[in-house]
Amino acid sequence: MAVSHARRVSRVALIGNPNTGKTTMFNRLCGVRAKTSNFPGTTTTMRVGQHLRGDGFGWDVVDLPGLYGLGFDGPEVRIVREILHGDGAHDSTDALIVIVDATNLSRNLILVGELLLSGKPMVIALNMTDLAARRGVTIDADALADRLGVDVIPVVASKGIGVPALSDAVERIANAQQTRTPKPPPVSQAEDLGNWADEVLTSAGGRPNDNSSDPFTERLDRFLTHPIFGTLVFLLVMGGLFWTLFALANYPMDFIEATFAYLGKLATTYLPRGPIADLLANGIIGGIAGTVVFLPQICLLFFLISLLEDTGYLARAAFVNDRFFRRFGLPGHAFVPMLTAHACALPGIMSTRLIPSRRDRIVTILVAPFISCSARLPVYVLLTGLLFASRPALAGVAFASCYLLGAAAAFGSAWLFGRTVFRGTPRQMVLELPTYKRPSIRTALLTAKDQGLAFIQTAGTVIVAICIVMWWLSAYPRSAPAPQAEVLRAQGQVAQADAVQAQVQQSNSVIGRVGRVVEPVFRPLGYDWQLSVGLMTSFLAREVFVSTMTVLAGDQGDPSADPGVRQRIRTMTRDDGTLVFSRATCASALVFFVLAMQCLPTLAVTRRETGALKYAVLQLTYMSSVAWIAAFLVFQGLRLAGVS
Amino acid sequence: MKDCPIAPVRLCDLEEGCAARFHEASLDSEARDLLRALGLTPSSVVRLCKRGEPCIVQVRATRIGLSKLVAGQIYVIPESRETA
Repeated sequence: MAVSHARRVSRVALIGNPNTGKTTMFNRLCGVRAKTSNFPGTTTTMRVGQHLRGDGFGWDVVDLPGLYGLGFDGPEVRIVREILHGDGAHDSTDALIVIVDATNLSRNLILVGELLLSGKPMVIALNMTDLAARRGVTIDADALADRLGVDVIPVVASKGIGVPALSDAVERIANAQQTRTPKPPPVSQAEDLGNWADEVLTSAGGRPNDNSSDPFTERLDRFLTHPIFGTLVFLLVMGGLFWTLFALANYPMDFIEATFAYLGKLATTYLPRGPIADLLANGIIGGIAGTVVFLPQICLLFFLISLLEDTGYLARAAFVNDRFFRRFGLPGHAFVPMLTAHACALPGIMSTRLIPSRRDRIVTILVAPFISCSARLPVYVLLTGLLFASRPALAGVAFASCYLLGAAAAFGSAWLFGRTVFRGTPRQMVLELPTYKRPSIRTALLTAKDQGLAFIQTAGTVIVAICIVMWWLSAYPRSAPAPQAEVLRAQGQVAQADAVQAQVQQSNSVIGRVGRVVEPVFRPLGYDWQLSVGLMTSFLAREVFVSTMTVLAGDQGDPSADPGVRQRIRTMTRDDGTLVFSRATCASALVFFVLAMQCLPTLAVTRRETGALKYAVLQLTYMSSVAWIAAFLVFQGLRLAGVS
Repeated sequence: MKDCPIAPVRLCDLEEGCAARFHEASLDSEARDLLRALGLTPSSVVRLCKRGEPCIVQVRATRIGLSKLVAGQIYVIPESRETA
């Protein structure tokens, strides 16, 4: 029986080439006992879970980024090297589980050779043995184990086959009961390792130069990578993805909105009127609601992206888009970040790590925030509703146009950057096209859960904090009762009196005074101090615009759900008595929100991912300038055309 | 079965379905290292699965999407045409 003092393993790292089923194996070993965080001092995502065995023992499992070799440059490979060598701020690991693809073993063995040279105790999980058998590839796992001097366990991670045996093999390392002595390759150069890998494979009964293909993948690729049919399928897949996103996410979003509106109502009903009730209802509950409401869309999008990635289709989408993207100075690899940015620019920017060239990565990071993210949705809903109040069809067209304008701005800006500050052409495509596989629902669900929690942890805390600070800035200093409000109150018109008092309060608050200072900057766009306040607060997070305008309109409800509140926003007046939201102003504000960099967390991630503050400054300056100029042209153009 | 030429040719000029042995590549180090990690080592067998821009090649069991420019900088010695 294993005894704890003899154990040598408390932390095991999963490592392997991309597309070898590493994440599926991680989920098999750890299930939901995993959390996503960042490697210390980096934005590279790290998943750590716990593998618990039936005998009561277990170990932590770290899911390392997929990599082709230890010699490559890049943040992920650097982290893996530091973990292997115990350098830097990263906790070292006691043992490795190396996941290799049985259908593509000679290539995978090159990484195995590099890892054997590192001297870490390891177990090899020979994954996808079922697929290999169907293709007539048989690998003698025992012969391979003898040749490498480490345990080789045949597994099928997607079905959980071989996982207990793999766990036992790690346990043997923990108890120092290995029966083999590792045999590292006698060479270390990459080209020599290739020959060594071929020899090892031959000794295990494999065929090193076998390039027979998977007939299913071959047939499907003829269609899915075809210039015309492939593009049509891509458009259908993307159309289906966004339709599913909007059709299905609406239900939980409505439920979340209604729940938080009810909680806010409870707070204002049962707590005595005053700052505490105000902070709770508007600052805290409002702030949390503003964040959590996007969760269904973000989880659903990551669920769908995970399914597509698992099938192998995402790589084909990047393949068919390469020619189109290249015309604008972006590589086909930029497709995945652009798709992810529809949920949130933060994971979109982080996924640019897939792009091999630094120039291409930086250009993609700079333009990805133009893509309409889910945080813009409530702003679009509010402004298109105000713009075309009685014509929902036109409001729908305006809504869709916002998405097109954002995408056009992203591609146009990439083109411009490619001809100015980032001269050059995007890196030529070298992209692995993985074999098509049945996607794992379990993996997709766990990915959605992890990404949802990560969103709540990062964006959520920022947004809630902003909402509380904004509430304070707009609530203080407290204004004396306004005479007009008192008159209304005396007439029994309590709601109107509250609305008038709230407006006076906003006007005299800290944020109201700041709004008047910055108003001249936005006056050419048609904005008064109230709209200027809305823009300022939403600089920290776009969706705050809606709650700010709600507060400024003198109500505490949710404008997207309550037509009364939307009506009050529509009838908000400037100091001169004219409407705040004229049609020209609405159109101008809509364009501004499509194009402006109104998201502080995105700038922070840009700085960290590019490693330089100058790129975050460039992004902010460029996007703000484009947004200001476009909104100015729209407002002044409509005014000249007689639209007010 | 159609004959393939035997002198080194650019990978992008190979006929669809034709297999060839990797001869040499005049690529930058980054692309060369990545292709080597993907299995394109000396004398490895490459098969052109789909012509065009970009094209698809298979090296060992790995399918790789390659831009025509990269495929044009890889020289291979044709072996046979797939008959399957």
